[in-house]
Amino acid sequence: MKLQVQLFGPYRDFQPQPVLELDVADGATVAAARAALAAHAAARWPACAPGLLRSTAFASEHALLRDGDRLPADGRIALIPPVNGG
Amino acid sequence: MPDIAAIRALVAAPRDAALDPARALDFVSHQEFGGQALFVGRVRRHNHGRDVVAVEYDLFEPLARATFEAIARESLADVTPELRVYVAHAHGRLDVGDIAVVVAAGSRHREEAFRACRAVIEGVKHRAPIWKREHYLDGSSEWSEGCSLCGEGGK
Repeated sequence: MKLQVQLFGPYRDFQPQPVLELDVADGATVAAARAALAAHAAARWPACAPGLLRSTAFASEHALLRDGDRLPADGRIALIPPVNGG
Repeated sequence: MPDIAAIRALVAAPRDAALDPARALDFVSHQEFGGQALFVGRVRRHNHGRDVVAVEYDLFEPLARATFEAIARESLADVTPELRVYVAHAHGRLDVGDIAVVVAAGSRHREEAFRACRAVIEGVKHRAPIWKREHYLDGSSEWSEGCSLCGEGGK
């Protein structure tokens, strides 16, 4: 399935488009998206530190997702790097 | 008369009326309430010794609003069910002195209002999907350090 991954915060500096497309197997979990993101970052985002990837959560529009969660059927997810509102 | 328990959670453009502290206090008012607590967060001139000229907030709006509401509901459960909470956060580029966030809590007594207001602003800072980029006098900019949400269910 194709994932539409929304980018926020420091991830916006790695590419001009606000959405990244990643391919994962149908029915895959968030862990597969995390692995696909790591591979993409290693190949295309030289400024992306491994520590940022490790500290990044995944989310739908409604909730944070655990690595063992099934990816949303519509393929729409967001990267949530460390937050600092307020 | 308004409900004795209510939540309003908003994301607003810079300097929008939703960020007006008076509006927040009005929302948390109730004839049965004798206490109101208010927190206003503004962009400050200096941070870690650097001259700040502006701050830009990036934000995942649907999840941010859902998180604000969840945090406020926790205060109703943990502090008192008779509580009105208002939380609004700016989205976009702010100048020094602009309001970034406003939180207000109203309750029968000051203790509950203080506790709820404090709990909500701490939740907004540590759990909401919001990112701050500071712009400095020398023309450079940096994303601020933040709290990882992996322990919140992300990993």
